[in-house]
Amino acid sequence: MELEEKFQELKMKREGAHMPHVYYGDPNEDFSLKLIETLTANGADIIEFGIPFSDPTADGPTFQAVCERALENGVTPPKCIQGIRKVREKGIENPIVVTTYYNIPYVMGIGAFLNEIKEAGAQAIIVPNVPVEEADVLLAEGKKSGIHTIFQIAPTTTEDRLKKIADIASGFLYIINVEGVTGARESLADSTLKLVQRVRRHTNMPLLAGFGISNRQQASAVVATGADGVIAGSAYAKVYEKNLEKPEETLPEIARLAAQIKQGCIEGYRRRQGN
Amino acid sequence: MKKGKFGKYGGQFVNEILMPILIELEAAFEKHYPTSEFQEKLGGLLRDYAGRPTPLYYARNFSKLVGCQVYLKREDLVCGGSHKLNNALGQALLTKEMGKSRLITETAAGQHGLATVMAGNVCGLETEVFMGVKDMKRQASNVKRMKLLGAKVTPVDIGMGVLKDAVSDTLRKWTACSQTTHYLMGSTVGPHPYPEIVATFQSVIGTEIKEQILKKEDRPPDKIVACGSGGSNALGAFRAFIDNEDVKLVFVEGGGESLEADNSAAAFQVGKPGILHGAVMQVLQDEHGQIKPSKTRAAGLNYPGRGPEISALCESGRVKAYYAFDKEVFEAVKVMCRTEGLIPALETAHAISYMIKHKEEFEKGELVVLNYSGRGDKDLDAIMRYFHGA
Repeated sequence: MELEEKFQELKMKREGAHMPHVYYGDPNEDFSLKLIETLTANGADIIEFGIPFSDPTADGPTFQAVCERALENGVTPPKCIQGIRKVREKGIENPIVVTTYYNIPYVMGIGAFLNEIKEAGAQAIIVPNVPVEEADVLLAEGKKSGIHTIFQIAPTTTEDRLKKIADIASGFLYIINVEGVTGARESLADSTLKLVQRVRRHTNMPLLAGFGISNRQQASAVVATGADGVIAGSAYAKVYEKNLEKPEETLPEIARLAAQIKQGCIEGYRRRQGN
Repeated sequence: MKKGKFGKYGGQFVNEILMPILIELEAAFEKHYPTSEFQEKLGGLLRDYAGRPTPLYYARNFSKLVGCQVYLKREDLVCGGSHKLNNALGQALLTKEMGKSRLITETAAGQHGLATVMAGNVCGLETEVFMGVKDMKRQASNVKRMKLLGAKVTPVDIGMGVLKDAVSDTLRKWTACSQTTHYLMGSTVGPHPYPEIVATFQSVIGTEIKEQILKKEDRPPDKIVACGSGGSNALGAFRAFIDNEDVKLVFVEGGGESLEADNSAAAFQVGKPGILHGAVMQVLQDEHGQIKPSKTRAAGLNYPGRGPEISALCESGRVKAYYAFDKEVFEAVKVMCRTEGLIPALETAHAISYMIKHKEEFEKGELVVLNYSGRGDKDLDAIMRYFHGA
């Protein structure tokens, strides 16, 4: 399913989107597939499919550990791309957004990498260490292969840059809630609300907010201010990392958390509408 | 060429959070650095605090041993014991101009961390230094010095607990405090404008060499030799001579134990172009692009990447890259101790080792400047253990 279609569908249903972020292969490929299945069965609308990297500088301690484990267990980019195919083979049709650091596509060849993920069934890519200044190749190759390049916007982003980013972005914009790295946080600053409102003045593109979201209240609050959905990642890893021997046992808890965050997205959307 | 690019190397591959901060830093550097006010302040500190200009010493006994004329550029005499202070003072002054109150940085050998807290104190800035746990152990004396000077030293225990991990973690920490805090990068690595800023502040080394050698020998050197990983002392020495093709430039990286099986830090031998810590550079990595850890006994050379400018200069052939194995490096320490009565840092000993290893190739009248980047007090325990055990 294309991203546009998904956002259209959510609008009709009057819901905010939930995009969970999973790094593939932690602690093993089999579990990642089950995890994605569980998430989509419990309200996940879009899957952020992470390809682990050795030096994930935009990620906090939870995802650093996730990447380290996945790599130790022998996960490689080709295995991850194969994983996208497996998700599709299971009949999961939700849009898939691949996230990885730039060295992975750089080494394979940007065009070849994007073609491969497209062919496997992905719709978009997030490369956190490619700002708009360095995005020419990614954008051009993305266009050729039909992969959206998703850009991030941070509290430090100036009005100038905001405009530049809004002009070239496609798919949706990723709003970084807080200054820092990925990871579940207790509270979200007012800056999130301000940032969402600031970005809204420049674009009608869907906005998904991430970094620090781990529960229903936060999801609801962020969507109520005008975001079109939320991204949660470390919150799920924190659940299954408690039982790495038998991570499957944590799937019911993950299912509940996903359903709650999705519920927050729905509530938030309706609060925003004023009913 | 685009700003911050050295051929295919360099660039600004960072998270959006940091981009506005890098743009601000570049603007501040361009605005303040050329002013006579800034130059006076920096010149004054380099002279009166750091002890510049450093001498260019004719190493008579070492020259005899290697069969040519060798001058040592005595960066070991910069206050703190290495060239690192040249850059730290410059960036600390810049931090003041930007109105920020804190410095963060990472360090491996501890020399850059030490230089940063010195410069921070002089300029009235707080300093926090991130250091891999493994490096904290092997460079314990510098950890003590930094703490005594008032730095907060934060151990980094992710990954292998070495420099690569400390850089990653400092970048992460910086994203949460970049509005009040300057990341004082110590080498010619990282996203633009860092490689340019650091090379500019270090280029005082080469500018002095040029003047001093003309006075002593009435001609430029035939060759300049420097060790490195990111490339700060090498570029510092090279920059004034890059346009003069008659001056051969030699860069010596950490060979580690051997070039096989992840036992080396020699990225020019066993690495390839890739993106790490904000820039395209020559970097150790596996076939899929996962960064590999580097290995060498010299903590200050233990980084998997070569900075963008030195990467481009080696690719074009302007600079020739060599490496020295740990074993050869310890022997080189001994040779320098016995010939000139100087204990070099293990990093510097890589350049010395190159001279010893290639002594058959030098002609008698050949004029070589070896950038003697640091003293070896910090390595005393490691050196003693190597030669005498325990």
